[in-house]
Amino acid sequence: MAIKFSTTFLLRKLHQVTGIVPLGMFYFVHIYTNVTAMNGPKVFNDHVQDIHDIPFLLFIEVFGIFLPLAYHSIYGVLISGEAKVNVLTYPYARNWFYFLQRITGGFLFFFLLFHLLNFRFGLIPGLNPTPVAGHAQEAFQIVSREFQTTWIVVVYILGVLATAWHLAYGVFLFAVDWGVVIGEKAQKLTIRAAVALALVLGLVGVNAVFAFVRPCGLLPQSLCEAPKASRSVTTPARF
Amino acid sequence: MSTNEHVHKKKLTDPPKTIKFKIQRREKEGADAHWETFEIPYRRNLNVISALMEIRKNPVTADGKETTPPVWDMSCLEQVCGICTMVINGRVRQSCSALVDDLLLATGGNTITLQPMTKFPNVRDLKVDRTRMFDHLKQVSAWIDLDGTYDLGPGPHISSEVAHERYVYSRCMTCGCCLEACPQYSEDQYIGPQAIAQARLFNMHPVGKAEMDARLNGLMEENGIANCGNAQNCLQVCPMSIPLPRAIYETNRDITVNSLFGWLKK
Repeated sequence: MAIKFSTTFLLRKLHQVTGIVPLGMFYFVHIYTNVTAMNGPKVFNDHVQDIHDIPFLLFIEVFGIFLPLAYHSIYGVLISGEAKVNVLTYPYARNWFYFLQRITGGFLFFFLLFHLLNFRFGLIPGLNPTPVAGHAQEAFQIVSREFQTTWIVVVYILGVLATAWHLAYGVFLFAVDWGVVIGEKAQKLTIRAAVALALVLGLVGVNAVFAFVRPCGLLPQSLCEAPKASRSVTTPARF
Repeated sequence: MSTNEHVHKKKLTDPPKTIKFKIQRREKEGADAHWETFEIPYRRNLNVISALMEIRKNPVTADGKETTPPVWDMSCLEQVCGICTMVINGRVRQSCSALVDDLLLATGGNTITLQPMTKFPNVRDLKVDRTRMFDHLKQVSAWIDLDGTYDLGPGPHISSEVAHERYVYSRCMTCGCCLEACPQYSEDQYIGPQAIAQARLFNMHPVGKAEMDARLNGLMEENGIANCGNAQNCLQVCPMSIPLPRAIYETNRDITVNSLFGWLKK
């Protein structure tokens, strides 16, 4: 018999894939760059510069990040609109997780819009006017200047935590929605792994936020001494 | 809280003299709903249905107003037909196996609230129309085609593992608890766990397997399996303890391998 896909079915599958493959992968790259801020402005700015030097950057940015992100967030908000939330009547852990996935998604919709306009484009009136894109050597200074304002730091901490949970639990959701994980025992193990991933991403991410305010973030500064001497000797000159 | 709690019988040591039933009434489909409270004397071993029968004998509300007897569905009275399903104290379950003592112990008061299921058309009072669930079974071809003009002989052998797993799915009584508790199910937005589990039941059968594509196609329609939100309330409320998420995820795997990546075999 011929296989027939409905539009909704394909849109859902695309929503599940975009969350993991372009966006989830990109998030790991993003958080890695953030973490380099622990070793000071120079190291961070150099990493931002490295991203600027990627070939086909605009192509990757549009098709690997902007389009999947726009699709995943807009369709995600539409899916959330279908929910008949009943966590108070049926207060089970996975029902709360279901609710939380939609809450974090809705929050991230606005947070990511703010984050992009604030740093990528520098377009929010009254806040940072310099886009990080094209100004790699000022990247650290742009962020740390912005983080002098408390509410912005709070918003970014919430954003980092929401992303960590939404992505980590999303990995579990992807695994069951594609039939990778099936049994109850396997589900439990996967959820534990997802919680562990959320904790790691959350803690590392929050520490990276503080790294723009204080060297090494919340960790003791002895952990973050950048190997300055060796770096200047071994770094090859750009050509 | 499982609906099988009556197996471990708990005694209500200091029962109240009377019990109140707060019942959601509706004259007919489309009419406005309203609440009526009835009071009946307590006696031992009441379940919600025997209490409703007691109310029906003398349909007068607690404030003395004469009214019509409440309408509800019932049949087997032993939690295998599923038709008496309603929302009791805010939670969906069968009213035949909802023991008054247990309900009073759980709430600590003497009032029990009864509502019809909210995700189905409300015909009258506590009675709902569950035709939709049977339409969903048709959508996924939840049967095995065996029509023929000659004797096909004995069917293929089924291993005891498969037989055991299929038996659990075969216990489904189409009661609607899973749909009522599902945050993704409303109207015809999502086909829901029961039909997916029945598709799984027949996909696991060695003869039924031949029609797997038709079942998976049914599950990939607009209201199909991809609309599952993985809240897994179905697993918690199923009175037959059917592992409904498992049926969904097994079918997800069939869809991934058979339908989404089937072209890789060509």
